[in-house]
Amino acid sequence: MYQTELLFILISLFAAALLCFLSRNRRLIEVSSLVASGIALMESVAISLQVAHFGANVSGFFSTDALEAVIMLIIAVVGFTSTVYSIEYLRRETSKNIIGLSGVSHLRSRVREYFILLNLFMAMMFLAITVSSPIFAWIFIEATTLSTAFLISFYNKPSSIEGAWKYLIINSIGILLAFFGTLLFFPAMNSGIGNGLITWHLLATSAANLDPLVIKVAFIFIFIGYGTKVGFAPMHTWKPDAYSRAPAPIGALFSGALLPVAFAVILKFKMITDATVGSLFSQNLFIIFGLLSVAIAAAIIFVSRNYKRLLAYSSIENAGIMALGFAFGGLGIFAAMLHMVYHSFIKSALFFSSGNLLLAYHSAKIASVRGVINIIPVTAVLFLTGFFAITGAPPFGIFFTKIFILSAGIKEHPFIVATVVLLATILFIGFLKHASAMVFGQPPADIVKEKEGLWLIIPPIALMALALLLSFYIPPFLYTLLNKIALHY
Amino acid sequence: MSTLFLQFLLQIIFLTIVFLHITKKNLDAIFAYGIQSLAILILLINSFFETGDISLLFIALLVCIVKVILAPGFFAQLIKKNELIFSASTYLNMPLTLVVLATLTAMAHSYRFSPITNIIPANETLLSLALSTMFLSLFLIVNRKGALSQIIGILSLENSIVAFAIFAGLEQSLGLQIGILFDISIWLIIATVFISMIYKQFGSLDVTDMKKLKE
Repeated sequence: MYQTELLFILISLFAAALLCFLSRNRRLIEVSSLVASGIALMESVAISLQVAHFGANVSGFFSTDALEAVIMLIIAVVGFTSTVYSIEYLRRETSKNIIGLSGVSHLRSRVREYFILLNLFMAMMFLAITVSSPIFAWIFIEATTLSTAFLISFYNKPSSIEGAWKYLIINSIGILLAFFGTLLFFPAMNSGIGNGLITWHLLATSAANLDPLVIKVAFIFIFIGYGTKVGFAPMHTWKPDAYSRAPAPIGALFSGALLPVAFAVILKFKMITDATVGSLFSQNLFIIFGLLSVAIAAAIIFVSRNYKRLLAYSSIENAGIMALGFAFGGLGIFAAMLHMVYHSFIKSALFFSSGNLLLAYHSAKIASVRGVINIIPVTAVLFLTGFFAITGAPPFGIFFTKIFILSAGIKEHPFIVATVVLLATILFIGFLKHASAMVFGQPPADIVKEKEGLWLIIPPIALMALALLLSFYIPPFLYTLLNKIALHY
Repeated sequence: MSTLFLQFLLQIIFLTIVFLHITKKNLDAIFAYGIQSLAILILLINSFFETGDISLLFIALLVCIVKVILAPGFFAQLIKKNELIFSASTYLNMPLTLVVLATLTAMAHSYRFSPITNIIPANETLLSLALSTMFLSLFLIVNRKGALSQIIGILSLENSIVAFAIFAGLEQSLGLQIGILFDISIWLIIATVFISMIYKQFGSLDVTDMKKLKE
């Protein structure tokens, strides 16, 4: 069940990557990538509907339960909008000489390289989340490191190489620690099942037989390892550098899709750990790292001078909030998952808006961007709305999810909840200060008003509209999936 | 093979990591990494003879080609091409580095980690030593300023995990074998492309020259 749909997604993405590799026709490269991400979106919706109605499938090389279905939806929506945005964005960057390479053939090969890596990146994320083996999940997450490292260094400038190198080194350490943690889950299993491939389902059903002390240490390694990919503080240091150097649509995929994928892998291990050692152990880890992430983001927000780095710190904060939701349990889990959905859509829209800002102002420095409302008004509205939405201002869903998460924890952890409220207020003021300074004020003399590209504003508008719609109406199938996640994780 | 010989191999791995911390010459570091990989290769071959698992022989062959021959050869060529005789310095000075190494080794032998070093009680000392090689490799990545040393640190961390897995009786795990296979391939690509890119952009492999992203 669902295997055909999944294969269809993967085949279309790999076929698009292959076509990009073989073709020199820019139009063909763009269309093939667009079609592949479109197919991925349609099939993901179909799979999610089926999982909501008929339940999970845990047999075979791929497994699809409620968590995987929701993450697939997120990857597909963010992936499709990123592809649409990338096409026009790269065209503009090429025409404005931002890609920074001379020669038509060289530029064409860079664009081709971009779309090959984009399709592979998406395919690896789909594989990492749906594969039924923890080791293969690890392999595919490591594969995302490789494809994304080259996307971060896409502009081939010293700062891009630096960002990519930091990302590579820090994430490689994290991913190796996650590998070690994953291996530690296996000793108790080996005697029972021989040397075959151990699946998530098998681990979950055998959780009672695992050694609790080993599992505790293993989960710490897992949490630190995959937590590096999520960007929990203090393993977050690669994030601002990588986000600020990567092309805007790649930043959207990093924050909107890769973060949930890595988070979901931690949740899968959390479920097994909870069954072996009880929920208190993982709960404490989630609280410590969650609170630290929100605190680090709040501490840095005022001194940040780059608006793309600002988005990175916002992702760190939101990852922290989600971690707290999963730690508090019950309604907190439901709200944390919904928070993940909202965050992915709104943050991606913000990254697209940041791309528009970069195209208009040729600078990622907050101080260089003034009077956006006069230069690119639609983007200005999107950017400001996005900032309100991501910091949890009503009527956007993040306002409600934050309230639900905090209310889930207020009885048992009142001090933590009070601290988070304080930190969230600091973050809101910090974001507002930067965003209002950028949107209003006098634009620099050398920046002229220009017509905003339709395909540069449709993807962020669509994502913001979707986030707003989901704030007031959750479709029944999504509601069912989120409920199932809250029950299982 | 006797336990004593296996212990000797693990001690070699441990000593090569200590040497990687001390050495100032890149070629010496490459040589130490080659020796370390050779020790891992012998451990894998020993596991093959003990278990008869043919896939272990395949992994051993791969480790021999990539880690013992190709990777050190590639790094040596890179050093020769770019005249990178001396490695970039460390963040901590040598006495402090040695103090940290001793502390990390003691930490790996502490009761805190006994749940994982006791996976096979008969191998507790060996597993503690393998765990300390992991910690020392991690510290190598953090303490060294050179990109080449950082890559060797990551590859050394991977070797340490393999050593731990072998003594924990996980060498036959399909997961470990696939993981090693994949990691080797990934790092070969990364090392090939990124080292050249860094040298081209910064004129050295010293990561402290990377200051473009400081806010």
